[in-house]
Amino acid sequence: MRNLFPNAWHVARREYLIRVRSRTFVVLTVLLAIIALGLTIAPVALRALGNDRPLQVAVLVEADDLASDPLPLLSAALNGAAGAAGATRAELSQVADPAATESRVRNGDLDGLLTIERSDDGGLAFTYLTDAASTSPSTLAIRQAASALTIDDRLGSAGIDPADRGAIFAPPAFEARAVDPDAAAREEGGDYATRASLGTVLVVLIFMAILTYGNWIAASVAEEKSNRVMELLITAASPQQLLVGKVLGAGAAGLTQYAVMLVVGFIGLQLQGQIGRIVFGDAAAAAPGGGLTLPLLLVFGACFVGGFLVYAALYAAAGSLVSRVEEVQQMSGPIIVIAMLGYFAAIFGGTTSPNATWLSVMSFVPFFAPYLIPLRMAYDTITPLEIVAALAALALGAVLALWLASRIYAAGVLLYGQRPSLRALWRAARVAR
Amino acid sequence: MSLVVESISKRFGPVLALDAASFTAEPGRIFGLLGANGAGKTTCMRIVLDILRADSGSVTWQGRTNWDLPRHTWGYLPEERGLYTKMRVIDVLRFFASLYGVPPARATVLVEEWLERFRVPDYRDRKVEELSKGNQQKIQFIAAILHDPDVLIMDEPFTGLDPVNVGLLKEAFLAMRDAGKTLIFSTHQMETVEELCESIAILDGGRVVVSGTVRDVKRAMGRRVVRLALEGDGTADGGVLAADAGWVTELPGVRLAQRGLATSEFSVAHGTDPARILDAAMARGARVTHFEIADPSLEEVFIEHVGRRAVDEREHHLAGTAGADR
Repeated sequence: MRNLFPNAWHVARREYLIRVRSRTFVVLTVLLAIIALGLTIAPVALRALGNDRPLQVAVLVEADDLASDPLPLLSAALNGAAGAAGATRAELSQVADPAATESRVRNGDLDGLLTIERSDDGGLAFTYLTDAASTSPSTLAIRQAASALTIDDRLGSAGIDPADRGAIFAPPAFEARAVDPDAAAREEGGDYATRASLGTVLVVLIFMAILTYGNWIAASVAEEKSNRVMELLITAASPQQLLVGKVLGAGAAGLTQYAVMLVVGFIGLQLQGQIGRIVFGDAAAAAPGGGLTLPLLLVFGACFVGGFLVYAALYAAAGSLVSRVEEVQQMSGPIIVIAMLGYFAAIFGGTTSPNATWLSVMSFVPFFAPYLIPLRMAYDTITPLEIVAALAALALGAVLALWLASRIYAAGVLLYGQRPSLRALWRAARVAR
Repeated sequence: MSLVVESISKRFGPVLALDAASFTAEPGRIFGLLGANGAGKTTCMRIVLDILRADSGSVTWQGRTNWDLPRHTWGYLPEERGLYTKMRVIDVLRFFASLYGVPPARATVLVEEWLERFRVPDYRDRKVEELSKGNQQKIQFIAAILHDPDVLIMDEPFTGLDPVNVGLLKEAFLAMRDAGKTLIFSTHQMETVEELCESIAILDGGRVVVSGTVRDVKRAMGRRVVRLALEGDGTADGGVLAADAGWVTELPGVRLAQRGLATSEFSVAHGTDPARILDAAMARGARVTHFEIADPSLEEVFIEHVGRRAVDEREHHLAGTAGADR
């Protein structure tokens, strides 16, 4: 690896400029930016479209012998006790005209009409008119509220005083004791769902970068081979210089694209708050990106770079072994399989058991570390010492991958025609400069 | 100190591409590497450039092994032409110059000089893909020499060029040689070698069958050539020699090499004085219009050592079209 620079810089610079100036790059970047903007302002847009408003339910009381007004009890069952935290899930209104209300439900003005009748056997009978499915969350919630009202009514028939009925509905003393109090405390320490989504987003970002930009590199090496500029390159610069330059240049172009996407996404998040305040008078519910701390961001950056180097080096080696750009896909198949393996392990492991031992072990394998270190950090199931050790393993892996890849590259770039056998490749790589 | 190639061998699987090949190219001279297709010329060049490693043998330039030499020692024009086609000519050339450590400003000046010399100054800002194959080849030649290498190695540099550009390239060769550079090129066009090279090596099946100065190689053939024309040759009905050259070939050690319409060629074995042909002609009372004693042509040297012509008709055709396709 002696004398890596400045030639690696020259190669990287050319690669970067050619790439970011190409029309494909510009179009793709704009497209990704639009998608990022769309995704980040989608929640507020959906809210503006009304998908997020509370359920509007009309209540028609046909049973005229109810002991008390059923609306407060129904509302409490649906939305929790009055004054409790949390968004309103349903707004109830009492109506008198069934026909008019029914047509309001039909034209979408209301989400449903709940009719309360006294049946012949003395109990209460409910009819819920809605266009939602009978198993939809809203219908199930209404059904639960209805059973609460029924119990209240039966207690009244049994002669229990209304004042005592309140005590009956009071929540029980219920304590959940965790097997591992520490883990439970960690999970309760922050919003678990936010952590999960953050971890997933980081893993997806790394995975996408590896596949997309890795493929760039393989295709670009194969192109240099197929248009025969390779022989000039390999005379002017060493395989290590060419390989490292290519990886750095394409990587920088990829980072540029990511930066544009992330900046636009960030602006979108800010806009989401602004729009929320202007349209609804309050900021949008939860700001995504919560749980993103500076250490996590730094470690994520290191993993992104390290992971990219490991895979990009292998992609470059794969590109050096084919004679035409069309064969790249086939040659990089095994790399994609390894990348997917780590990706699915992270997604699956994250959702099912973020503190499993096999995830800890995999964090030390350079192929999988880029996914698993940030994931476990997001879930807070990794110690600082482990982070440092896993990052060191990743760095070592990256250096090894670059070294191995440049041997393969040195041997591969001058082999045309048939794909070399492993044996032939090994022999060529051993003597290559 | 010269470029010394010492007994290099290289095997690709079952094929022995180079078999203990040795030759020496003197500094400040033009050296020709001759051989038919597949003789091992390209492999040999790649090994000299250290982009391939030989299985055995060594290559030294001015006493230093080629592994230790800085990259800018070498300039290389590969047989397979290739450049970054989407880039502008000036950008491609500055890029390659930068890899050899030439600063952009200096590279720009040199590029403009060379484009001027090749009579294509307006190509500076054109994209490579807009240029014809022959012109791309000129750009590639410039890419090989911008860093002012001590040794310039070129694989079939004239293939695919029209006569005007061949002339320009030959001029460039001679200018570089006069500037003290060492040039090595491969070809199977013997006329070009006769014109430019002081020394040659002929490769066949991975072996160097003969090498040395052109003069020595020809002399080592052990025979000379006499070209003879008599009055009456070159007329419509053939000529006196065409009708009867028997009186010449009955001289000991003399045989008819080529019966020509205007001039006929005789091969004279070592030990026979070529002047005896002239004497015989005078004795017959023939009027001699042309008499020339020469060394055999490289074409003949090649045939003598390899057993066939360097370019048969089919190969020539292939080389021509392949050059135009690229």
